[in-house]
Amino acid sequence: MSRGRPAGYARAAADTIRNKPQIRSAVTAATKSFDAHRREAWSQIDVDAWRDWCRDVKQHVVTHLDRYLEEAEAKLLANGVRVHWAESAEEALAVLGAVVDEAGIRRVVKAKSMLTEELGVNEYLEGRGVHVRETDLGEYIIQLLGEPPSHIVGPAIHRSLDDSRRLFHEHFGTPMDSSPEALAATARQALREEFLAADLGISGGNFLVAETGTLALIENEGNIRLSTSAPPVHVAFVGIEKLLPRIADLSGFLQITARAATGQPIGNYVSLISGPRRAGEIDGPETVHVVLVDNGRTRLLGEDVAWEALRCVRCGACLNICPVYRQTGGHPYGFTYSGPIGAILAPGLLGLEEAMPLPFASSLCGACADVCPVRIPIPDILLHWRERAVEAGLVPASERLGMRAYAALAERPRAFAAAGAGLRFVPWALGGRALPVLGGWSGERAPPELSPRPFHRLWKEGIE
Amino acid sequence: MSARDRILERVRAVLPSREDAAHPGPFLGWRAGPLASDVPGWFSEMFTKAGGEVVRVGSPGLASAWLADFAAGFGTASVGATLPADLIPQLAIAPPEVAELGVSMGRGAVAETGSLILDARDGRRTQLLPPTHVVLVRVEDVHATLADALDHVSHDLPSAVGLHSGPSKSADIGQITVTGVHGPGRVLALIVG
Repeated sequence: MSRGRPAGYARAAADTIRNKPQIRSAVTAATKSFDAHRREAWSQIDVDAWRDWCRDVKQHVVTHLDRYLEEAEAKLLANGVRVHWAESAEEALAVLGAVVDEAGIRRVVKAKSMLTEELGVNEYLEGRGVHVRETDLGEYIIQLLGEPPSHIVGPAIHRSLDDSRRLFHEHFGTPMDSSPEALAATARQALREEFLAADLGISGGNFLVAETGTLALIENEGNIRLSTSAPPVHVAFVGIEKLLPRIADLSGFLQITARAATGQPIGNYVSLISGPRRAGEIDGPETVHVVLVDNGRTRLLGEDVAWEALRCVRCGACLNICPVYRQTGGHPYGFTYSGPIGAILAPGLLGLEEAMPLPFASSLCGACADVCPVRIPIPDILLHWRERAVEAGLVPASERLGMRAYAALAERPRAFAAAGAGLRFVPWALGGRALPVLGGWSGERAPPELSPRPFHRLWKEGIE
Repeated sequence: MSARDRILERVRAVLPSREDAAHPGPFLGWRAGPLASDVPGWFSEMFTKAGGEVVRVGSPGLASAWLADFAAGFGTASVGATLPADLIPQLAIAPPEVAELGVSMGRGAVAETGSLILDARDGRRTQLLPPTHVVLVRVEDVHATLADALDHVSHDLPSAVGLHSGPSKSADIGQITVTGVHGPGRVLALIVG
């Protein structure tokens, strides 16, 4: 599946808006609906106190990360879980490869997990000739389409009912006017066989409780419960920042994550997994592996401003409210995590140069900070990455010169007024886009519509 | 040096420059909010809102009678390993992969989230595979808050605990909510006592 790279953002975003208007309408409708549900769910609770509490717990975890990693490891081992550590995607995949070889794995079912997207688990397994099947309905749809997810929580929100009808018609011969219920029943049947035939279930982890070595997973369909219950082996990939100190901490996080993501009081299914099947239990996996993954997280921890992004619980609330994300969905970002959180994680996880221009893919309106359940100061971190990009010479020279020219103009009122008046005569339709600096700004945007009179004249003459 | 040691070393190299943040203590949730005096009633309200069904009976005998009546609409059942013998419905017992009805013994329930607490020792497949799922819960095991429930469960953790808060659902096809996608499409909480 082709994901692209952040460097292609502006072109891909412009292409989506110009040539795929159906994506914009699907994403806008879905995110507005998610956000309306969040708002309703938040109105029922003491939301400021909940957010403060969640921020403080996560901040505590991140500032004591070594201690909780060691505690979690010890508890997992005591529970009979096999624990692995991976510094990079390559190391994480090598762990998976060893499990596949050792257990002779041929068929895999996957629970929805953004970390496995980040690591490229599906491509790796397919490259080794292992059959791998996504089981979350949205992930299943995009796997059949050969696309990456476009949203952290709703991977297929850019696809309409008709898109799914066409897809299922091609794969299963279902009628083109099938109801969503009929399509879901078709998927249920196909995937039920996959669950029961799989040798391995792969999941991520929403939280890992250090005190008890318990992995917490949130979902709505039951596919995660099945992926972690039916196959004889379970491998969970968990980012090292996903720890919680005590099982009691789940009481706040399970609730606020669901309320922030979809407006539910809790995910429809929560799995609390504390190891492989025990003596006296009649089913469940014989072997459970937990892979603790760094893959850039310790680098992000070392960033003096951006490290606060490690509190993220991946609820998607900042995507849902973002006026920039809503126009295109996640694909143009060219990174596993899109929207505001993706724009601040990418420079930390990939390196700033590779992540350009994502910190600029924002209007800095601040809505993301207003909805973040763990109060990550996303706009501050965006600005920080922009400053760093300017210092590192990663913004185009024309933009730097343009900003310098603007600063010079802005300090000289007469020149500023003259330039403002002059702008009103730029022949946009006749090649104005070719002008230096202005061309760069207008190349991927609609030309600005200027009022006939500049603001400082309106001000002087009185605004009606 | 192992990957483990290198990761921990990098973490330890950074943490001295990060100000220690204290744990804020227990999650206070609703504080003096809508903590109902009628906890089972609160559970019923939340579970029903999520699409589940609640049946309340006064005694194990009445539960048995209700189950017998309900089960008459089904051909086969798969039952939980810890379900009391007198509550096992008089149906042909079938593996969960093919059973029409699943009946589980619930470890408890949570009112504030409308969740049933299911223990791996009762059997995970019966909790997930049959299209209709009935879960018995003793009324004294219905906790007001998730914090109370987790505290209770944490003293005796099986390999897996599932919190089920209504029928399986998805809105991944055109943002339209459908039920019964992978887990049961119909879930009933049978509250006894």
